[in-house]
Amino acid sequence: MSVIFYGGTMRFSVMLQQLGGGMLKSMSIFALTLLFALPLGLFVSFGRMSKNKILQGAMKVYISIMRGTPLMLQLLAVYFGPYYLFGANIGGGYRFTAIIIAFSINYAAYFAEIYRSGIESMSPGQYEAARLLGYSKSSTFLKIIFPQVIKRILPSMTNEVITLIKDTSLAFSLAYAEMFTIAKQIAAKETNFMPFLVAALFYYVFNALVAFLMERLEKSMSYYT
Amino acid sequence: MALLEMNHIRKHFGGLEVIKDISLKVNEGEILSIIGPSGSGKSTMLRCATMLETIDSGEIIYNGERVAWVEPDGKKVYPKGAKMKEVGSLFGLVFQNFNLFPHYSVMKNITDPPIHNQKRGRDEVFAEARQLLKKMGLEDKENAYPCQLSGGQCQRVAIARALALNPKILFFDEPTSALDPELTGEVLKVIKSLADLHIAMVIVTHEMNFAREISDHIIFMDQGVVAVEGSAHDVFNADHARMQAFLGKLQH
Amino acid sequence: MRKQILVSCLCLSMAASLMGGMSVSAEETGLNTEGKLVVGFDAEYPPYGYMDDNGDYTGFDLELAEALCEIEGWELVKQPIDWDSKDAELNSGSIDCIWNGFTMDGREDAYTFSVPYVNNSEVVITAENSGISSLADLAGKIVGVQADSAALTLLEEGGDQADLGATFGTLQQFADNNTAFAELMAGSLDAVALDIGVALYQINRREGYVILDEYLNAEKYAIGFKKGNDTLAEIVNKDLGILYENGIFMELAEKYEIADMVCLADTLGLAEAGTEAETEAE
Repeated sequence: MSVIFYGGTMRFSVMLQQLGGGMLKSMSIFALTLLFALPLGLFVSFGRMSKNKILQGAMKVYISIMRGTPLMLQLLAVYFGPYYLFGANIGGGYRFTAIIIAFSINYAAYFAEIYRSGIESMSPGQYEAARLLGYSKSSTFLKIIFPQVIKRILPSMTNEVITLIKDTSLAFSLAYAEMFTIAKQIAAKETNFMPFLVAALFYYVFNALVAFLMERLEKSMSYYT
Repeated sequence: MALLEMNHIRKHFGGLEVIKDISLKVNEGEILSIIGPSGSGKSTMLRCATMLETIDSGEIIYNGERVAWVEPDGKKVYPKGAKMKEVGSLFGLVFQNFNLFPHYSVMKNITDPPIHNQKRGRDEVFAEARQLLKKMGLEDKENAYPCQLSGGQCQRVAIARALALNPKILFFDEPTSALDPELTGEVLKVIKSLADLHIAMVIVTHEMNFAREISDHIIFMDQGVVAVEGSAHDVFNADHARMQAFLGKLQH
Repeated sequence: MRKQILVSCLCLSMAASLMGGMSVSAEETGLNTEGKLVVGFDAEYPPYGYMDDNGDYTGFDLELAEALCEIEGWELVKQPIDWDSKDAELNSGSIDCIWNGFTMDGREDAYTFSVPYVNNSEVVITAENSGISSLADLAGKIVGVQADSAALTLLEEGGDQADLGATFGTLQQFADNNTAFAELMAGSLDAVALDIGVALYQINRREGYVILDEYLNAEKYAIGFKKGNDTLAEIVNKDLGILYENGIFMELAEKYEIADMVCLADTLGLAEAGTEAETEAE
């Protein structure tokens, strides 16, 4: 235990405040990533299922790169890419944007495959019934197919979303002061591991909250099978 | 003038020709049954009539207007956009597997298409839907979801859903094949009761007694061609080896 | 470095050709954004740059940078960076300098440096009761070191202490010194090699750990700028002189307990700060 508690001089309330501030930043990464990746993933999945072979191939490659390389490298590539590729001077303001871009395009790839699994599991009969009942292609998807897809993919989505919460800590590789980065800094200053313990608790509570909300969402759709 | 005419229809899947030059005609209010062994092309004929499948040659005429055909050079001409909507509103289809929307209540399954796709008034549509449900013996199931219903009840909802769009012709694709025998009766009873509505019906079925009783005209299909056709009496008493073999098999 | 190589691979490795044509912005100050000095630092590197009890970034280097910005009328932006990415951060222009107990020895070709201002040494920490009392005792032992650090460069193949490094059982790399120290306490490491300033900070907060009397080397800290950015380096050199003369430099050195390590007077060719009012001979 001494490694955890020894030698600290920072007041606990200050530590909580600092980590809380980091938590807000982690949550903003989380929220913005979902905001962009959820719709983007849907469009990627459409491309992936497209009859256009070029589009389909491009999406396949995109998904394979996003899933086949570490998110941390993608963060670095998005942030430093403009410099390495074009010699552009990226300045300071790009850091957070880069994080959101990297997270969004990475998660969109995973979401796309989840959407695809859901959409492809729908029986053709649903499309045929909708067509004969006069639904247009877009309302067939929006009113008939997509709600059912959401219900089917919700468990795998919950998994991804919870992984995302923990993945936000990867933003430390761009030194963005999210919670894990702050925890590391306090730990270095305090020369103990107490901040990690607190950070773990924060992550856990946030995860539990998200898991609870997803469960509620799942229940709200359990009225049909 | 016939409500539906299908002339010289051909359809193949891969190398397999499922329909080999079939023609049929349905008049307003007429009930046509299509019978025949599995794989004879009955369901494909319905799917061509409802444009779920495209034909490889021939023409489809609704209300005297040619709406789909194949040009001599093989080009398939099908209606698009508003025209397709207009043609589509003439017919409805009841599926073997119902294909109800599981996330919609019974009421919403029936009322959403007229409200959303035909832009009809909500009150009018709801009133009509309640009448239909009563006719189907499901007046207490308005708020139920498909998963809470028996197969027979689901199929009756599916029939109500198709009727709510006021089609001129209703196609039934083996409407009782997915049902337990004890549930078949209730669905057949409902279909019989539709005769008063005076809409044309085309029914693909294996229920011979039902077909004999209800049909104005019967087509016996075998291996992609019309083997026998005529009135119920003519067809069931026809001196046709395949036909008799088929009936014999069913009776065992 | 490994990471940077992978990054550039991901970027289709067009870097090399383009970097050749790169030049530092030709502003008067050499800053990426006029009026704003963005200092990149490892926020896990006390006493040079770290988070204080109030959660603010502070340290000897950061306070020094603060004082310098006051002279120039610049705004100071304290930008914590991941130490592994410091080159990319600097070269891409997202920071103006690395100012953070940054060892210049062995890196002269990669950066433009200010004048050195701290005499640093790479040292080895062990537990008092470990039975290790000299560098020779480290033979066959497991020694921890921060990734991409000066200590690592020293002990790796090609470094000045490579022969010593070769005698170790394992030379294990860590993302930060704190983790390495935790492993030392947990007994999975026998020793940690690191900068003396950081080493003092660590052992002053714990009991039972010592710095080996034999140092690995003597080296100097300086402020690192993007290669070729002499404009900014010269401004900073000039201001360091001013800060030395007005006593602020030594004041900060006392505050952060590194007064006997600073060397700015020697490198600037100045006498002891304070009473003697010697002017800078530039």
